[in-house]
Amino acid sequence: MLNQTFVIARKEILDGLRDVRSVISSLFYALMGPLVVGLVSIAVRPTKSNAGASVLVAMMSVFTLVAAFVGGMNVAMDTVAGERERRSLLPLLLNPVPRLRIVLGKWLAVSLFAVMGLSLNLLGFAVVFATSGMHMNVALTRFLPAVIVGIFPLALFAASTQLLISTVCRAVKEAQTYLSMIVFLPMSIGMLLVFFPAARRVWCGFLPFLGQQLELELLMNGGEFHWIQPIVLGCLTVTLALLVLLVAANRLYRDEIVYGN
Amino acid sequence: MIKVQGLGKQFDGRHAVKDLSFDAPDGAITGLLGSNGAGKTTTLRMICGVLTPESGSIAIDDVAAHDSLARQRRLGALLDHTGIYARLTARENLLYYGRLRSMPPETLRQRVESVVSILGLGPIADRRTAGFSQGERMKTALGRAILHSPRNLLLDEPTNGLDVPTIRSLRSLLRRLRDSGVCIVFSSHVLDEVRALCDKVVVIANGSLAASGSPGELCARTDTVSLEDAFVKLTGQPENLSC
Repeated sequence: MLNQTFVIARKEILDGLRDVRSVISSLFYALMGPLVVGLVSIAVRPTKSNAGASVLVAMMSVFTLVAAFVGGMNVAMDTVAGERERRSLLPLLLNPVPRLRIVLGKWLAVSLFAVMGLSLNLLGFAVVFATSGMHMNVALTRFLPAVIVGIFPLALFAASTQLLISTVCRAVKEAQTYLSMIVFLPMSIGMLLVFFPAARRVWCGFLPFLGQQLELELLMNGGEFHWIQPIVLGCLTVTLALLVLLVAANRLYRDEIVYGN
Repeated sequence: MIKVQGLGKQFDGRHAVKDLSFDAPDGAITGLLGSNGAGKTTTLRMICGVLTPESGSIAIDDVAAHDSLARQRRLGALLDHTGIYARLTARENLLYYGRLRSMPPETLRQRVESVVSILGLGPIADRRTAGFSQGERMKTALGRAILHSPRNLLLDEPTNGLDVPTIRSLRSLLRRLRDSGVCIVFSSHVLDEVRALCDKVVVIANGSLAASGSPGELCARTDTVSLEDAFVKLTGQPENLSC
């Protein structure tokens, strides 16, 4: 089973990397947040104690969650809706490969791009914070594992959601319309926390999206941290991602999938 | 050998294929002949396992295969459009499909070289397919279909948009495959092509079987001298453009 899945994943990664326009666009989206926050940091001159620092942290967390969604977006569009548009999905479905393996392979590739986008974004923020004079109270030994367990699963969820939407669309342009809207989801969660601080309850930390936003803020502000939160959050997010993936695989069994534009 | 029995498929309440039965023997080229929208492509897609039949059965090599994956293991197919990956080279396209079929690495390497040589893809094998001509794309797609040496090969209007030399080399390849015992099912609405290639013709009209036999038998049965006249008589379809 894994062999065919990895064959598909490897091809999609190679294909994605050769799409230079899409790689540049993903790079730009991943680094957009650090660039914006870097420019704002020049204006607010943050220190650990002033309000400017907390604004930057809030901005950072929104941009980071968005980065989880945009890193693999182009590949997700191309890999199903694009294949359908170019009529290469039909030859793929002619092979004795269960549809779930096809979706799994494509998901692995999209997830890799999403995680890379997210990592690049975090790296960019690390550089911004180090050069802006902000001294964050974050131990790397705690920050990195917590991000990997709690935040990275959001990139996997983003990949499966984008793949599902891509299976609904007949062309890249159509997929682009819907996937661009999905990016507003993490943004709206950030806004929700700004306008409704009451949402910052303990149990909200276990909910996908809200939990990742809260975890990032908590980590950056050096608040009291319990490992149970990122572990449960990560498990819930991955479970949700796999469920969405099953729906996407099921869509590939529908007759309409073999018809292009 | 492919045996189709009582095959049926509807789209939005309209019968695309209705109670269709025919068989395609080994070592022969069987042509599916029909007008546009007659149900040829839908039939081929059901045999290939990408569309699910609503009724009927499909047996390949005398094995009744309800599982589409089991059918796909015994088939090679070139359906509809070529659909090759533009950012991969021709060779990478072939290798990808070989790996998907779990071909052992050494066998795959040898088969890719063999297919590249048979189809004359040598000079372009390591070029990305983005700039390929229609003929080059078709050859790559055909290579993908025959890479795993299938005993049954399905082709849906493979000569569409090809120039004369490419059509001739395709015909010659199909004859060689037939002579080696491969069962080839070939759909077309180009009568000259069917007459030039097919040992057996299955005429489909409105999703149902109108007639089957060799081109000569069909002409004799309808008392006509050309396959075109036989086709019009068998399908009962008048010329639909009035000038």
